[in-house]
Amino acid sequence: MCYEVIIMSEKGRRKSKTVDKVSPKEIAGRIEKSAESMVTQINKQQDPEFTTMQRGKSNVVWDEKKGYLELGEKEITRTFLNIAHARKFMQTSMIMAKTQEYLNHNKTASIREIYYELKHTVADTKENTFEGQDESDPIIVDLEHSVDTIREKLNLHANPKGTLYGDITLLDRMHHNDKFNASKLGRGGWSIMSRVEPEEIEIVDSNAEYLLVAETEAIFERLIEEGFPKDNKCLLIGTGGQAARGTRRLIHRVHHELDLPTIVFTDGDPYGWYIYSVIKQGSMALAAHSEFMSVPDARYVGMTIDDVKEYKLESVTERMTEGDIKRAKEMLAYPWFQNKEWQAQLNKALEQKVRIEQQALANKRLDFVATHYLPEKIKNKQFLP
Amino acid sequence: MSEEKKTKKTDESAEEVSAGAVKHLDSEFKEHSVAEFFKKNKQMIGLYGKVRTLTMVIHEYVTNSLDACEEVSILPNIEVKIDELGEEYYEVTVTDNGPGISKENVGKAFGKLLAGTKFHRMMQSRGQQGIGAAGCTMLSQMTTGKPTKVITGRGNGKCLTLELTIDPKMNEAKMTNIKEIDKDFRGTAVQAKFKGVLYRDSDQGPLEYLRRTVIANPHAQISFRDPMGQKFTFKRTHNAVPEKPEEIKPHPKGTTVDDILSYCKNTKGRTVSTFLSNDFDRMGAKGIEEVKKRVHFDMNKDPKTLTWEEAEEIVKAFKAIDFIAPTTDALRPIGEDQIRKSLQSIVQPEFLTVLTRKPAVYAGGYPFQVEIAIAYGGSAGKKVNEQTQMEIMRFANRVPLLFDAGNCALTKAIQTVDWKRYDIKDVENAPVTVFVNFISVHIPYTGAGKQAIADEEEVLEEIRLALMQTGRKAGIYIAHKRREAENQQKRIMFYKYIPEICKALSTITKANEDSLKKNMEKMVLTKLKLEEAKEAEEKARVDKVLAADDNSTIVKQKQPKEKPAEKKDDKEKTKK
Repeated sequence: MCYEVIIMSEKGRRKSKTVDKVSPKEIAGRIEKSAESMVTQINKQQDPEFTTMQRGKSNVVWDEKKGYLELGEKEITRTFLNIAHARKFMQTSMIMAKTQEYLNHNKTASIREIYYELKHTVADTKENTFEGQDESDPIIVDLEHSVDTIREKLNLHANPKGTLYGDITLLDRMHHNDKFNASKLGRGGWSIMSRVEPEEIEIVDSNAEYLLVAETEAIFERLIEEGFPKDNKCLLIGTGGQAARGTRRLIHRVHHELDLPTIVFTDGDPYGWYIYSVIKQGSMALAAHSEFMSVPDARYVGMTIDDVKEYKLESVTERMTEGDIKRAKEMLAYPWFQNKEWQAQLNKALEQKVRIEQQALANKRLDFVATHYLPEKIKNKQFLP
Repeated sequence: MSEEKKTKKTDESAEEVSAGAVKHLDSEFKEHSVAEFFKKNKQMIGLYGKVRTLTMVIHEYVTNSLDACEEVSILPNIEVKIDELGEEYYEVTVTDNGPGISKENVGKAFGKLLAGTKFHRMMQSRGQQGIGAAGCTMLSQMTTGKPTKVITGRGNGKCLTLELTIDPKMNEAKMTNIKEIDKDFRGTAVQAKFKGVLYRDSDQGPLEYLRRTVIANPHAQISFRDPMGQKFTFKRTHNAVPEKPEEIKPHPKGTTVDDILSYCKNTKGRTVSTFLSNDFDRMGAKGIEEVKKRVHFDMNKDPKTLTWEEAEEIVKAFKAIDFIAPTTDALRPIGEDQIRKSLQSIVQPEFLTVLTRKPAVYAGGYPFQVEIAIAYGGSAGKKVNEQTQMEIMRFANRVPLLFDAGNCALTKAIQTVDWKRYDIKDVENAPVTVFVNFISVHIPYTGAGKQAIADEEEVLEEIRLALMQTGRKAGIYIAHKRREAENQQKRIMFYKYIPEICKALSTITKANEDSLKKNMEKMVLTKLKLEEAKEAEEKARVDKVLAADDNSTIVKQKQPKEKPAEKKDDKEKTKK
């Protein structure tokens, strides 16, 4: 249960990545270099190796100073002449070749597309190169880490999710250099692409004063209907649950490039709070990319367990599920939840065993969230860190 | 007998009954006894279950034939045929090449129940179980009303043919249609019909019974034609008739009151002392002295006058006195060589290890011996719905035990062995045949069905020790086999991925795909050669261990056959 806190020495830090600056050509070069080294090894009759970073809890480090999760130093090496690795080694070489091809030909593909493109029967066997996307996805992550980049730089992307609305002007370099304002696209706003790298999507300018990130699409729509972004001079991003990579990347860019304060609004339960923590400090699965995705300065506006009493929402709370309770207990132990505000919040939830949804505010009035709850809390800076 | 006496004693009215009346009662008891007992107690003597009954019938005839042949040192050739005459109605024909039977003895052999002389004999013999051939005659006439046909000849151009039933009142054969014909035939053929029985090609059916009979009697050859017309021949693998087991005197340990009272009826000794020293094993002057000290009657009395109470004192004394363990040289094991040959021929495994343990003693007074074989791979194990399962072949004095496996000490001993230690992971589903032959002058059956051996501690221990010894050898072989298979697997595995990898790497680097492929294959071979070298070292070690132990044989794999027996189909195989 207890999460091991790893305090890294100055020396132990990963070198800062230059993600924003590297060109597709350079990434392709890195892949080629890695392949060259394998070829050299084979020609010298040495077992070819592929090295990448170890992922998962055991290699995740909480950097308190930077305010986000980082990947540790542990590397793993995959070799061909190892019965447990041979198949993965083949898969890795195939993904390497295919992504290099994408980069050289300026093509992008979804991670599902690359899976289908590479899937076929291995000659003289009944075995497929990839039996499912769950086999190719981890190899893609292996490659991202191996060539020290992010998926988007490999010209790969996952399914898009998340929506942007508000007075911000963007330029889509990949599509006739379309320039558009996200408040002029109708009520639905702009569907955030899974790849929002600067060479594709340029942030031109914005008149907003802050960025509000909402967990549910329903609240996103409610706030637009009530004219909240216009009245409050803010941008609005709906994540639709856990924020996708593209959405996180856009939040990061908007926050840093436009210097806008970021305020997060989720359901008042461990799941919602964790969505906030991923936006703010990064996730364990993508710890290596926190630097380009996290927003350590983000603040949390609600829902909190204290809101229940404050706004007299007792009759519209729900009971925590077993899963919620387990999650809350785990979060209590995470190093990046070690501050008195969040400890108090989690403990209160565990004591009362209740959760409160964003939409429960409709119990007051439909527009209550837009006219009272958010404006008041934001004006009074009633935030959690 | 003693039971009878007791009943008479306690029956108050008995005193008033005249001697003549008692005699009448006795004869009436005799008249009804055998036939009535047979009718009412079919279950007790193992004749329950339609499949089981047919197998028991085959057992009786085949046992008779084997015994007859061995008696005069003829290598047995036995032919068994089963014909289906109707629903649950079969005719069984068993023909042997034995010495033939005289007219007088035909009646005894096929027409007198409980005529055998094997009861109370301390000798390794097949005949301790079952109902005898006469029992089959009785069963046949009870279920069909038909007589049993017998042809027997002595190879002198003349044969005797006759039909035979049993007169239940007299317990005697009634022979009709007796003819002497001119035919040059040596041996005996018996043919009888049975109703209410069923033929099945199962673990407990006649085919399996005969297969196992030949395994444990490698000097015999049995051919069989089943009701569907399929022919099977189980070939002889040893060309000498086994030495006859010796009859030994009973050892004082393990003797019961009832035993003493029946032995003393036939003794030549005139005093109890001479009776004991003549008729018991390991009973010297010192032993007699010790018994004398412990009993309260005169040891010089006529042994025929011993009472139940006095016999009880003797048994009590036997228990208290230390005797030398019984002689064990009366036992005749099949022998490692012969078991190996017959299992190779009939089970056709890939690996075989055989062990005949030294004789031991159970319950203080009964010599016994255990023979074990573990056959692995090839056609070993039994096929159940396309899957191979462990097969346990139990034998008592070379007779296959097909029934009551769960209650049997032999099964229990096999099940309590930790087979994982011998690299057999899922023993229930492994291609393994375990052969166990238990031989003794007296088999401790658990019940009257005589298909399961009782949990005698010494017996269990001997079997377990034998299984461990053989299991260890099988384990070495199996582990070696497994590693070899794994290596083979590896080679295939590495090789199959090479083309994809080379294609990918050459796409990225423009390196020559073919030369990459060659280099990768070379690399795999180098690695596997290293492993093979290790493997060869290991194999040399295994071979050395197995060579040092001539109980184990690695059989060169022949092409696997469906049934490990020669099979000639007369007609299309039609299964019910």
